Amino acid sequence: MSAWTWLKFVTFLWLLRKAFKLARWLIVAAAAVVAWPVTVVAGTGYAAAWLRGWPPARVYRAAAWALIVTAAWLAALEASDPGFLATREPGRAWGMGWDQFTVAGLARTFALLAPVAVPAGLALAGLIWAWRIYAITTGLGGVRASAPMAFDRRQWRRQIRTAKGLANAPGAVPLLARSGQIPVGGTIRAIGHRWRPVLALPAAACARHMVIVGATGSGKTNLMIRLWAGWFTATLQTARAGRGDRPLLVVLDCKGGRDARRKADRTRRLLYGAGARRVAIWPDEARLCLWDLPPDELTVLLYQMIDSGTGAAAYYADVLQAVIILAVTAPGGPPLSAAAFLDRLNARWLQKAWGDGRHLAEAEHARAAARHLPDIQLRYATLLRRLGPALDGPGTLAEADAWYCILEGTRERSVAEAQAMALTELAAHAATSLDGEPRAILLAADDYSAVSGRVPLSNLYERGRSLGIGVQVSAQSWQGLGATEDERYRIAATADGGVFVLRTPHPEPLTALAGKRRVLETAHRLIGGAWGDEGTTREQRAWTADPDLVRRLDVGQACYIHRGAATFVQVARPKPSPLSLPPPPAPIAPVPEPRSEPAPAPDPWPSPASLDDIFGPEAP
Amino acid sequence: MTTTTPNPFRALGLPERPDLTDEQVRAAWRNIAAATHPDRPDGGDLARYTAASAAYAELRTPWARSEAYADLADQADDGPATAPIPVISGEELPPEPPWQLLRALTQVPARICSGRPLRLAIRGLIAAVLALIVLRLIPGTPAAPADVFGLILWFVLTGRKDLAPPPER
Repeated sequence: MSAWTWLKFVTFLWLLRKAFKLARWLIVAAAAVVAWPVTVVAGTGYAAAWLRGWPPARVYRAAAWALIVTAAWLAALEASDPGFLATREPGRAWGMGWDQFTVAGLARTFALLAPVAVPAGLALAGLIWAWRIYAITTGLGGVRASAPMAFDRRQWRRQIRTAKGLANAPGAVPLLARSGQIPVGGTIRAIGHRWRPVLALPAAACARHMVIVGATGSGKTNLMIRLWAGWFTATLQTARAGRGDRPLLVVLDCKGGRDARRKADRTRRLLYGAGARRVAIWPDEARLCLWDLPPDELTVLLYQMIDSGTGAAAYYADVLQAVIILAVTAPGGPPLSAAAFLDRLNARWLQKAWGDGRHLAEAEHARAAARHLPDIQLRYATLLRRLGPALDGPGTLAEADAWYCILEGTRERSVAEAQAMALTELAAHAATSLDGEPRAILLAADDYSAVSGRVPLSNLYERGRSLGIGVQVSAQSWQGLGATEDERYRIAATADGGVFVLRTPHPEPLTALAGKRRVLETAHRLIGGAWGDEGTTREQRAWTADPDLVRRLDVGQACYIHRGAATFVQVARPKPSPLSLPPPPAPIAPVPEPRSEPAPAPDPWPSPASLDDIFGPEAP
Repeated sequence: MTTTTPNPFRALGLPERPDLTDEQVRAAWRNIAAATHPDRPDGGDLARYTAASAAYAELRTPWARSEAYADLADQADDGPATAPIPVISGEELPPEPPWQLLRALTQVPARICSGRPLRLAIRGLIAAVLALIVLRLIPGTPAAPADVFGLILWFVLTGRKDLAPPPER
C-alpha cells in the first residue's frame, strides 16, 4: 500500500467516524425538536438539578409524583371518551400544535400535553443528569482534565445551599417527623445511604449507642440538643400511645462553666416545648441522693470514688474496702446521708453496731481496722465535702423527665470524675430498679473525656448496653474518645446508632468506619496538551466519607456514618413548634419579705443563730 | 418531686411564689424552729416543728420551690401534677378520633402565620396565575382539570415546608 492510499484510507475512516457522530447528534436534535414539550420539561428539570445540586433520585421522585397528574388526566379522558381512546389524544394534540406556530399556540399544545410531557420530561432529565454525573466522575466527560474536581466542588457548593435552605424552612425539619423518626437536617450528599431531602434517624438509633465528634464551634451542641429533643419527643409519644416507657434523659455536661449553664437553660426550654413536665438542672437547682443506692452498689461506688492505688498500696485498698463494707452493711441499714456515713467510720460505732454477738467475724474486722479508721474517715470527709451537698439528697432521677447534670470537669477534674461515677451509678440503678416506674433512659455525656480518668468511656458503653440504656457520647476529637487507640476504636466501632463527625482536624479513623467504595478512574492519552481519543479505565477504591471533605466542613455541617455509608447533612437549629409554646409569663412583682413570727421577748432557748450547733449548717 | 406537705409555703408562713430566695426560706424556717423546737423549756410545738421542717426540706432549693409551686397550681386546677401520664393499653396505636383531621385543619391558619406566609403567598399566586392561564388556553378539555390538579399538587407538596410544624412535633 502506497502512502497516498494509506492517507486516503485514514482520512476516510476519520470522516466516517465524524459522520456517524454528526448523524447521531442530528437524530438526537430532531427527536428533541419533534418531542419539544418533553424536551422543554427535560431541559428545565436538568437545569434545576444542576443548579440545586440535586441527585438524580430527586428528579425521578418528581417524575413519579407527576404521574398522579397523568393518572388524573387519563381518568378524565376515559370519563369523557370511553374505550381507551385516550391514548390517541396526545398524538392528536401534538399534531395540531404544528399548525399553530405562535406563542399562544405552543402554550396551548404544551398545556394539552403537560400531563404526559411532565413526567416523561422529568424522567428523561433524571437519566441525562445521572449520565452526566457518571461521565464526569469517571473521567469520560468534561473538556479539561480538572473537570471532575471542578464539577464536584461546584456541586458541593450548590448542595450546601439547597440543604441550608431546607434546614431554615420552618416546617421542613421539625423535632419529630410524622413517621416517628428524628429529623436532623437537610441532606447535603448521601454516599451509600438512600437519599432523602431531610436526614431522619429512627428513635431507636438514639436509644442505642452514638458517638459525636467535633471541634469547638463546629455545631456539636446544636446537633446534640436536637437529638435529645427528638428522642424525648418520640419516646414520649410512644409512651402516651402505650407502646413504651416514659423517657428519662440524663445529660452529663462534663466541662461545666458558664457555657454549660447556657446550654442547660436552652435544653430545658426546648424540652419543655417538647412536652417535658420537669427538667432538673443538677447541682444548681436540684439534688440527688447517693444514699438511695442499694448497699452493694453503694459499697462499690464509695470504694471506687477514692483513689486507692495499686502495688504496695493494695494492702491499704483492701482495708479501705473492708471498712466501707462494714460501714454500709451494718445492721440497721445503710447510711442515709454523708454525715451518717462519716459517723460510721469510727471504731466505737462499728464495734457497737457489729457487737451484738451474732456477727463475731465482722466485729473482729472492725477491731482490726480500728487504727486505720481516722485516716479513712478523713479521706471520705474531704471527698464528700468537695462533692458538695448535691449528691446528699433529697431527690431521685425518677422525679424529673430530664436531668441536666453539670460537672466541673475543667475546673475540678477529680471531683467531677467522682460525680460522674455517682451519676452513672444512679442512672444504672434507675434502669434496673424494680420499685419505680420503668423508664426508657438515654444517658448523654458531652465531652466525657474531661471526666473519663477513672471510668473509661468503653466501660460506660458496655454498662449502658448491658442495662438497656442508650448512651450518647461526644468528644472534641478522636483522641478525646479514649486513652488508647484500642479503646477509641472499640468505642467508635461499636456505635450501632451511628457516628456523627463534624469539623475536626483528624477525622481519618472515624471516616475509615464508612469504608471505601469502588469508583472508576479513566486515564486519557494526551496529544499535544489536549486529550486524545485513547485511554484506559480501571477500578479504584475511594473513601466513602472523604476525610478532606470532613476537615473542611462548615459550622453546623456533619457527616453521619452508619453501616458503611455516609450522609453529609446541614444540621437544623432545634426549635419546638411555635404553636406549642406557652404564653410568656407575666412580669413577676417584687417578692414581699416573709412573714416573720413575732419572736418571744424573753427566750431562754438558743436563738436562731445558734441552731446550726444543733442541726448542722445544712440540716433541715 | 412529690409534694409531701399539703402546702409547704403556708407551713413556713411564706407567700406561694416560685421565686423566693434561699435566705427567705431559711429565715422563715429558723424563726419557726426557734419558736417551736421540742427542746424548748415550754415543750415547743412538735407538730408545727415537724411540718415546718418537712416544708423546709421541700423548699430549700430554687428548683424544688418552683416544683412545689407548680404542684400547688396544678392542684388548684384539675388534680395533682404528679399524676402519671395516662397510658393507653394495647399494642396498637389508638384509632385517630374523627375530629383529628378537623383539628389539624383548624391549626392550618396558625401554622401559616407562624411559618413563612409571604413565600406561601407567592407560591400560591404562581399556581393560581398558571391555573388561570391553563383554563383560558384549553377550556373544557380533559387536560385542563389535570393541569390544575397538578398545580395544586405542586403547591401542596412544596408549600408544606413553609408551614410551622404542628404542636406535637
